[in-house]
Amino acid sequence: MKQHLGRQSGVQKVDVNLLDGKVDVTPADDGRIDPIQLLKATYDSGVSTAELGMTARGKIVKDSSGDLALQVEPNQAYTLEPNEQSKQLESLAGAETMVTVRGQLYKKPVGKKKPEPPHQLKLLVLEVQKE
Amino acid sequence: MKRTAFMLVLLGVVVVVPIAEAQIKHIEMRVEGMT
Repeated sequence: MKQHLGRQSGVQKVDVNLLDGKVDVTPADDGRIDPIQLLKATYDSGVSTAELGMTARGKIVKDSSGDLALQVEPNQAYTLEPNEQSKQLESLAGAETMVTVRGQLYKKPVGKKKPEPPHQLKLLVLEVQKE
Repeated sequence: MKRTAFMLVLLGVVVVVPIAEAQIKHIEMRVEGMT
C-alpha cells in the first residue's frame, strides 16, 4: 500500500504505522495531491480506508450551488459540510483571506466492509487554525 | 513604460501569491485490513 500511495501525483512521503493502521501522507511542496486518488490507490492495494483527514490552506469561496467551499488550488475546491466551524468561515466567503483548516474528508459508511471509493468528497471542518 | 511594467508585476504578486500559498499541507488516513 505504501508503494501504491507513494506513486500518486503530488506525494512526497508516506509513513505507515502497521500497529494502529495510521498512514501519514506528506504532499510535495510544488505538487497537487488528490485525496480521491489516494482513496482509490488504497482501495486498489486491497485495504479499506476508515477515515481520511487533511490539513489544508486556502480561500473560502461559494461553489456553483451556493455552498461554502475551501479552494486549495485554482481548480480544486472542497464543499464544506455545514457545522459550527464552517459557520465561522461564512464571513470570509469571496474574500482573499487565506485560512488553514483541519478537517475530515472521508469516513467509511457504517456497515460496509470494503466500500468503493467515493467520487466526491466534502470537508467536515474540525478546526480552524489561527495564523 | 516602467510604471506599466511595475503595475503588472504588482498585480501578478497580488493575484498569484495567495493562490500559490494555498495547498493541502498534510493528509492523515486510518486504514483497515492491512497485514
